[in-house]
Amino acid sequence: MVSSVLAPVQERGRAALERLGLPTRRQEAWRLTDLKRLAAVAALPPSSTSVRQDLPAPSEGVLRLVLDGSQPSLEGQVWPQGFSLLNHADLEQVLGQILDHCGCAEAWPVEFNHASSHQLLALRIRGKVPPLELVLSGGDGLVATRVILILDEKADLDLLEVVLAEGVSAHSHVIEVHLGQEAELRHGFLATADGQASLLAHLAVEQAPRSRYAFTSVVTGWSLGRVEPRVVQLEGQAETTLKGLAMTSAEQQLATHTAVRFDGPEGELDQLQKCLASGQSHTIFNGAIDVPRVAQRTNAAQLSRNLLLSGQARVDTKPELEIVADDVRCAHGATVSQLQEDELFYLQSRGIGASDAAALLLRGACQEVIEQLPSLAKAWQPLNRVMESLDR
Amino acid sequence: MIRPDAELLLEITDLHAAVEDKPILKGVNLQVRAGEIHAVMGRNGSGKSTLSKVLAGHPAYRVTGGSVRYRSQDLFELEPEERARLGVFLGFQYPVEIPGVSNLEFLRVATNARREKQGAEELDTFAFEDHVGEKLAVVQMDPAFLERSVNEGFSGGEKKRNEILQMALLEPVVSILDETDSGLDIDALRIVAGGVNQLATTDNATLLITHYQRLLDEITPDYVHVMAAGRILRTGGRELALELEQTGYDWVDKELAAQGVA
Amino acid sequence: MTSSSTKDLVSQPYKYGFVTEIETDKIAKGLSEDVVRLISAKKEEPDFLLQFRLRAFRNWLTLEEPDWAELGYPEIDYQDIVYYAAPKQQDKKASLDEVDPKLLETFDKLGIPLSEQKRLSNVAVDAVFDSVSIATTYKEKLAEHGVVFCSFSEAVKEHPELIERYLGSVVSSNDNYFAALNSAVFSDGSFVFIPKGVECPMELSTYFRINSGDTGQFERTLIVAEEGASVSYLEGCTAPMFDTNQLHAAVVELVALDDASIKYSTVQNWYAGDENGVGGIYNFVTKRGQCRGARSRISWTQVETGSAITWKYPSCLLQGADSVGEFYSVALTNNCQQADTGTKMVHVGPRTRSTIVSKGISAGRSSNSYRGLVQMGRNAKGARNYSQCDSMLIGDQAAANTYPYIRSQQPQAAIEHEASTCRISEDQLFYLQSRGIGFEEAVSMMVSGFCRDVFNQLPMEFAAEADKLLALKLEGSVG
Repeated sequence: MVSSVLAPVQERGRAALERLGLPTRRQEAWRLTDLKRLAAVAALPPSSTSVRQDLPAPSEGVLRLVLDGSQPSLEGQVWPQGFSLLNHADLEQVLGQILDHCGCAEAWPVEFNHASSHQLLALRIRGKVPPLELVLSGGDGLVATRVILILDEKADLDLLEVVLAEGVSAHSHVIEVHLGQEAELRHGFLATADGQASLLAHLAVEQAPRSRYAFTSVVTGWSLGRVEPRVVQLEGQAETTLKGLAMTSAEQQLATHTAVRFDGPEGELDQLQKCLASGQSHTIFNGAIDVPRVAQRTNAAQLSRNLLLSGQARVDTKPELEIVADDVRCAHGATVSQLQEDELFYLQSRGIGASDAAALLLRGACQEVIEQLPSLAKAWQPLNRVMESLDR
Repeated sequence: MIRPDAELLLEITDLHAAVEDKPILKGVNLQVRAGEIHAVMGRNGSGKSTLSKVLAGHPAYRVTGGSVRYRSQDLFELEPEERARLGVFLGFQYPVEIPGVSNLEFLRVATNARREKQGAEELDTFAFEDHVGEKLAVVQMDPAFLERSVNEGFSGGEKKRNEILQMALLEPVVSILDETDSGLDIDALRIVAGGVNQLATTDNATLLITHYQRLLDEITPDYVHVMAAGRILRTGGRELALELEQTGYDWVDKELAAQGVA
Repeated sequence: MTSSSTKDLVSQPYKYGFVTEIETDKIAKGLSEDVVRLISAKKEEPDFLLQFRLRAFRNWLTLEEPDWAELGYPEIDYQDIVYYAAPKQQDKKASLDEVDPKLLETFDKLGIPLSEQKRLSNVAVDAVFDSVSIATTYKEKLAEHGVVFCSFSEAVKEHPELIERYLGSVVSSNDNYFAALNSAVFSDGSFVFIPKGVECPMELSTYFRINSGDTGQFERTLIVAEEGASVSYLEGCTAPMFDTNQLHAAVVELVALDDASIKYSTVQNWYAGDENGVGGIYNFVTKRGQCRGARSRISWTQVETGSAITWKYPSCLLQGADSVGEFYSVALTNNCQQADTGTKMVHVGPRTRSTIVSKGISAGRSSNSYRGLVQMGRNAKGARNYSQCDSMLIGDQAAANTYPYIRSQQPQAAIEHEASTCRISEDQLFYLQSRGIGFEEAVSMMVSGFCRDVFNQLPMEFAAEADKLLALKLEGSVG
């Protein structure tokens, strides 16, 4: 799991960071980011190991692995049938390749991960396998984790990544996923923190024809959060579903930057991003969809729904559609509002107090995304976690 | 009404056609004279809808052999719009929705294109509103549909009525009605069939493409053709339709097998 | 649509591409503080205006040319441009009879007759030739109502207090690179002033004509509607065909006080370059309206069909409570044209409302981008925005991009944005054809159906014209 293949990657990352420096406001992708907090993240020392003990018991039949960024190996781990670790030769070949295909190999958070991570989990999945749960967690300081998943043709996996953090810490995570033909991955990403920690998560996913990828992210409680799923349909003809819930309170800032590219015909995308901002917080959504000429008969729909829950909070949303094929259906929509007054009034007219009514409506708004998480997420009681973080 | 001396309007000879290189029509022969009503029946995939699209000139269908003469003219030399202006009308099975284009404006432009060929004067906006008002009665259609976009948000029955309204306005010589009865409840079917009956004269002809007998209860055909595997397998009078109603299409397979086709 | 037929949907030859042979008064190429002073001196301007220009020029030197738009073009050499050119005639004539007949003939050919007998009956026209106003019709009749409609230069001489008060008050001289450039070197344009309570009795229109091949075009338009006043204004633009590119950097400022209403319509048909992208106008325009007063309303309607490059975002700053901003746009690009256009609706005041309807049509190898910003400020309680951005693609080599930025800091404001992409489907075309409607007419019916929501906003006199213009742009030899 730790691997000598990472040594040159680290060197590359360090060199890149030196060259790039910190992102600046002049870069469109960072224009709205709180760069002071980013600088603080970059200055954090590596985390000292402290594996958390208070994890809920995993659902039955679930394979749970805990990554804290420093654990040297998973030797002795018993792998259920269908799971295997990538060997050194495979690893040298695929490492970074999916990042390249997704066009984010040189993104700052990726280079930052390159420079910092010395733990790597690289798995190959064959056939239908038991659910996999990755708990990404560490102590104070910077935790960096890196995962590679290769789903062979017709492989079928439920994956839940849970990111936990507290205190003055930051988590840098990069996951690369390859879906072979007709492979299916239901990918949950549940990242909750206590309001002080920061998160930089980058996902690079490439899909072969007739594969299905469903990503559901529930992210809340990060001082500075940045979640960036990048999906490429290598030859089109695949299904991508992206459902996101991003919540901020107090003075948090959370950005979700998604990018989906169709490098072939007949691809499908169904995307919903919900952002809820309360307190003096700030949510950012940036959703790029790229439909080049080869992507005829693409069918893509993106919806950005934002709830602005306080007069000091702020919402920025920016869909970006670039289309060069004529026979396509691409629709996108965005709304920004507070909770609907008529819905609140309806509940109040049935005797429910204003704050209860609001909480009820918020639960409903969150539930729409949360129920899309793979079923193994139930062990983590995601809705309660999210509502707690909102109360905090 | 069958009159052997009536004008030969449509003469289809050994017609072959393909979609994306897949042959569908494999030698259709059919003659239609003025005053006649023909029913073309057959199962799904027998080629009957293809026949209607080929006659109207849909670009996705490629003629690979044979000929169609419309009033002695080579039909395939004509663009779709020229066919329409000369009096060939296709009533679509699934009329397409065209958002933004006003139904009234569309009907007026189409009517005037046809009238110009007929040597009739062009109708301006006001004259056309009167003209279309008369025709609405044929299909018992609410004038409110004129204000909407072409077929946009119309129910299945409303779309079909809009088709027959167009037929009434364009006064076609040969009308090909592709599964006009599909998706209609019995009341709507009667209204549509009533429209077709009102518009049938001794000078024009109608080709009904249908799956079921029930339309033929409302419109009496002079000829019934059964299509299978891209050809007309059998032709008869009205009784053939009744026979099909009772026996189904099983005999078709036997007959095809006997001919070594299927 | 079949590929062969889409390829044939090319624009028909540009019919406004002729050049008028006329002597012009031109200064040497290049830009410096001396050039700015020279322009101001030629126009015998008061000192406040010279100072305005000089401030703008100094600002311009510190600014960078924007590069965030979805546009590609070779670097512009700002020293290779002539910044002042005017047809040689002495002072502006009191009577049209004294205007050079060649100029009158030019506008006649463009369909804008200026002479008493032929002029449009309910439209007053200001004709601007190479950035200089040569004639304004119906001035006297408008004056009876207290309406001022004249060239910018005249306004500087006759109403300097209004110019000093409002110039640069909406688009400051350091707003952006092109606005700063315009502020430094603008030569002429139109000025409209509608006094308190007056409803302008006729449509006002400015017709811009570029004639010279090496001259930059920098007009400036300022429209002020006082309390309760209202006006509808339309601008049209054409240019000759040159195989070089001409820079056009205009600024338009609108000010609406309490209960005032300004409707500003544009039919832009600058030369677009040939089918290989040679020549054409670089159109970098800053247009902004300020709803300063309560319940005021500013409405932009644009039909953009010309120019090699279009960079414009007519915007509304909604300050007055209950004020309303609207943006209705059709942008058609064909061949190698590039358009990056949209709007900004900045909601400052409470209960302000805005509507955005944008229809982009991309054909050929062109690129058509909608870029918009809807911003709800902290005090925009009860504000609302609705936006709809639709793209139609014709052929598989054209690009349609949509970048709608939304920012809100007011929970009691509601924003709703919808966008879709469509094409003209083969089945829709066949349906129309099978009813006797020819291919070209079928395409044009569908395109104008697509644009109907926007055309409905144009003044009656111009709606039909815009429809025709679009049809012409797409017309071609259908094979």
